[in-house]
Amino acid sequence: MRVLNRLLVRIRNFATRRRGYARLREELEQHLALQIEENIRAGMPVEVARRKARMKLGSVEVIREAYRSEEGLPLVECLLQDCRFAFRQMRKAPGFMAVAVLTLTLGIGATTAIFTFVYSTMFKSLPYPDADRIIRIYDSRLSGESTGGLVGVLRFFEVKEHSRALESAGFYYFDQATIAADSRLPESINGVGVNPGFWRVFGAQPLLGRTFTDAEDRWNSPEIIVLSYSAWQKIFAGDPAVIGKQVTLNQAAATIIGVMPQSFEVPANIDLWHASHFEPSKWTYRGEGTRFLNVVARLRPGITLPQARSDLAAIAKQLQRQYPDTDANWEFTCESLRDSYFGTLRPAMLALIAAAFLLLLIACINIANLLLSRASARESEVALRRALGASPARIAMQFLTESVLLALVGGAPGVVAAFALIDEVAARMPGRLGVPGTVEMNWPVLAFAFAVSVATGIAFGLAPALQRRTTSLNMALKRGETRLGGSAGNTLRGLLTAVQVGLSLVLVVGALMLGQSVWNLLKNPLGFQPDHLLVFSLKLPWNTKSELANNFYAEVQRRITALPGVSAAGQVDAPPAVDWHLRSNFDADWLPQIANQPAINAEDRNIAGDFLGAMGARLLAGRMFTEQDQQSKAPPILVNEALVREYLPGGNPLGHHLIVAGQQHEIVGVIANQRGIAGALEKPPGSVVYWPANATGGVVNRYFVVRSAIPPQQLFHEIRDQLYHVDPRQAAGPMETMDNLLDKAVAQPRLNMWVLVSFAAIALLLACVGIYGVVSYFATQRMQEIGVRMALGATRAQIAGLFIYRVMSWAFGGLLAGTVVSFGVMHLLRSQLYGVQPSDPRVFAASILILLIPVLVAALRPAVRAANMDPMWALRAE
Amino acid sequence: MKEKTEVQQGTLALMVLKTLDVLGPLHGYGIAKRIEQISGDLLSVNQGTLYPVLLKLEQEGSIDSEWGTSDNNRRARFYRLTRSGRKQLRIETEDWEQTATIIGRFFAVKREDLV
Repeated sequence: MRVLNRLLVRIRNFATRRRGYARLREELEQHLALQIEENIRAGMPVEVARRKARMKLGSVEVIREAYRSEEGLPLVECLLQDCRFAFRQMRKAPGFMAVAVLTLTLGIGATTAIFTFVYSTMFKSLPYPDADRIIRIYDSRLSGESTGGLVGVLRFFEVKEHSRALESAGFYYFDQATIAADSRLPESINGVGVNPGFWRVFGAQPLLGRTFTDAEDRWNSPEIIVLSYSAWQKIFAGDPAVIGKQVTLNQAAATIIGVMPQSFEVPANIDLWHASHFEPSKWTYRGEGTRFLNVVARLRPGITLPQARSDLAAIAKQLQRQYPDTDANWEFTCESLRDSYFGTLRPAMLALIAAAFLLLLIACINIANLLLSRASARESEVALRRALGASPARIAMQFLTESVLLALVGGAPGVVAAFALIDEVAARMPGRLGVPGTVEMNWPVLAFAFAVSVATGIAFGLAPALQRRTTSLNMALKRGETRLGGSAGNTLRGLLTAVQVGLSLVLVVGALMLGQSVWNLLKNPLGFQPDHLLVFSLKLPWNTKSELANNFYAEVQRRITALPGVSAAGQVDAPPAVDWHLRSNFDADWLPQIANQPAINAEDRNIAGDFLGAMGARLLAGRMFTEQDQQSKAPPILVNEALVREYLPGGNPLGHHLIVAGQQHEIVGVIANQRGIAGALEKPPGSVVYWPANATGGVVNRYFVVRSAIPPQQLFHEIRDQLYHVDPRQAAGPMETMDNLLDKAVAQPRLNMWVLVSFAAIALLLACVGIYGVVSYFATQRMQEIGVRMALGATRAQIAGLFIYRVMSWAFGGLLAGTVVSFGVMHLLRSQLYGVQPSDPRVFAASILILLIPVLVAALRPAVRAANMDPMWALRAE
Repeated sequence: MKEKTEVQQGTLALMVLKTLDVLGPLHGYGIAKRIEQISGDLLSVNQGTLYPVLLKLEQEGSIDSEWGTSDNNRRARFYRLTRSGRKQLRIETEDWEQTATIIGRFFAVKREDLV
């Protein structure tokens, strides 16, 4: 209670700036007067009485200070005083401030930007209720390539029915659709088919209307759709009367029953969700063709992920036994939704955090160096303070206050810059990162930035605070004697320089290696010519009769090929660089055939038209499909190089047969490998089997690949025109150039590369600034020595060489250490590299060169300036 | 001449309270003189250290102060004990007596008592 009273009174005094000076002075005066009177009464002479009275009272200054320290909040007042002093010091040294603020802005800004990403992906909760109970479930092959984790339709229903770990299960599948609203022209949009469970899993509330129920999802129920926010704005201009409206979806009537809010982006960039109308009893086929569902599920309360895993494993085993010819080779795997979104980013995130931390470290080191230089200039000030009675703690606190303030002043622009950068860049991030609202600044990030600034300030503030030497105050006050000798601080400085150079080397090596990876990704032979290639997709309703489909596509093919300027046009279900999977199992007539163990598993692609010519792909052996092949009942097939190399090495596949569904298909040609089948450019090409599109029961969804020298925009229009003439109800999917598609495929690694390049550039800049500062300081410190040396006959080159040698020997030490560290780091980051060895000596040599040249220049300038000093002036300097 | 011992701030506060308790309201000089008297010159108190202690006690609420006139017609600040100060005095007195008793017992112990 008493302590609380005192505290409250102290706070009141501090706030009202009340000073008891007047009262204390008067009391002390009275006290003295009384004591003097008593002394006089005791017989002392007046002067002696006065002196004795004063001595008995004690030092007035001390009393006053003790009084003051009882009065206000001394700690806070000290802090304020230090802050005011710090600001004055900052104003007096604009050059230092500029460098320090720039350094801190770069360091803290980069760290904040990186942390924004890390927080958004690793820590921020996903925008669905109880989002950590949502999981993704994948079909994965026990041995061999999986089909992107897509699940077979009947298997989904079996999981839904038999699982005891799941509260609800849903799926979505991609379904590019054509929508015609009101009297507008048909547009191609991105749609997904979902089941009612999908809405339950995410617990998402619609903005308008409602989502669909189980009753509306029967196979013969009328078509219903839920619009996404962006489609609602784009197509219907945000009209609230859109609920209940009838539109034409894929040439059938559909009713709009709801609109989702802007925050609901599952999956990203979707225009509408429509009911799947899947009923398990209507699906008789279990094979690869049904494997196209993306499955999401919500765990029952209390169930953990490992428990769900074992539950799913049990179901998978059951299915393996029950359906050996289709399901024997498949099991279920699952991961949390967050992992499915950002799991692959984790190693990149860790690398980026490490890089940001390194950068911050370099910035701290630089500023510590600069502060060390200033600290020795302020030795006399510190000595004076200590002589006046300041405790070491008080002085340390003053230094720390200055440095924390500096960090905050420098960090604030950094945070602002990070904010601007994130704002600018967030929407253009590849993949899930680019979904609006995913990556953004928020309070946790700002709090982190503040904490980092303060920690940085303390870190580099400790350097001069620790460096106070306990030499005699006398000597420090005179500040003349230590000029000629070396001082202990120089070792520290040299060490810090070495560390800086080493860290910069690590970043430069990383940047170069990532850069080369991206270059390789883009430039390695693709197996086709990506330039001048236009790509777009067409989708007919799923129940179009095969004859109609074939005729439609043949007509479109004919018209496009007839356009002037088009050199070749072809059709394929999905070209390389598009994320589309279709795999089949085959037996081969040259390999032993075992029941339930197919010999070959490969991607299927259906092609028509002049696919090879349009793609610029090479035929290595045999021939292309003819018109006859396209009509054949037992069509021949083409295979790619990879299939031959894996399953018939050194042999000639022409004339052999692959067997599927009991039918033999003759191999009539071999095509060169194409990279990027099923979307992943980094993966080596797998086995691919090519079918004639028209012969395999009419493929309703096809991409066209068109090679032409005409500018793409013009070609778009002409093709759309032709399409309209063939069938006005059809809309072409988004038209892209193959170059664009490839560009998107390397977006992630390229982003990583740019980040590391900017980090490396910043680090190099900081290292150079640091070295410049250090050499300047050395030169100033040893001015007298330079004068003496010159007087004794040293040439300018020798003087310059003295400094350069000093600094460069430290720098080389740093380079050596940095090389070793880079080795280790690059080995850890092996997964991010493509076509680059982690210990490639050329990269290391190039990095060292890139680092050495600016460092040398930074060291040269002040060294040369020192060497050009007038020796008489140098000798007289203090 | 034996070294005069310095006194800690806590015990100085206690002496101030006791002095005010026994003698009633006093000004700063008077308190200092009485403490000197009672301690019989065994303590050396830099008289000036009294004033911060008085401020501390006042901020705690143990004593009150107001301007008044001293015997020789000088303006002086008079301090008096408050009720909570009286309570604090009682509590601390008990504490000290207990400490003194325990220490006294230890000083009186002989080897035979403990074997």
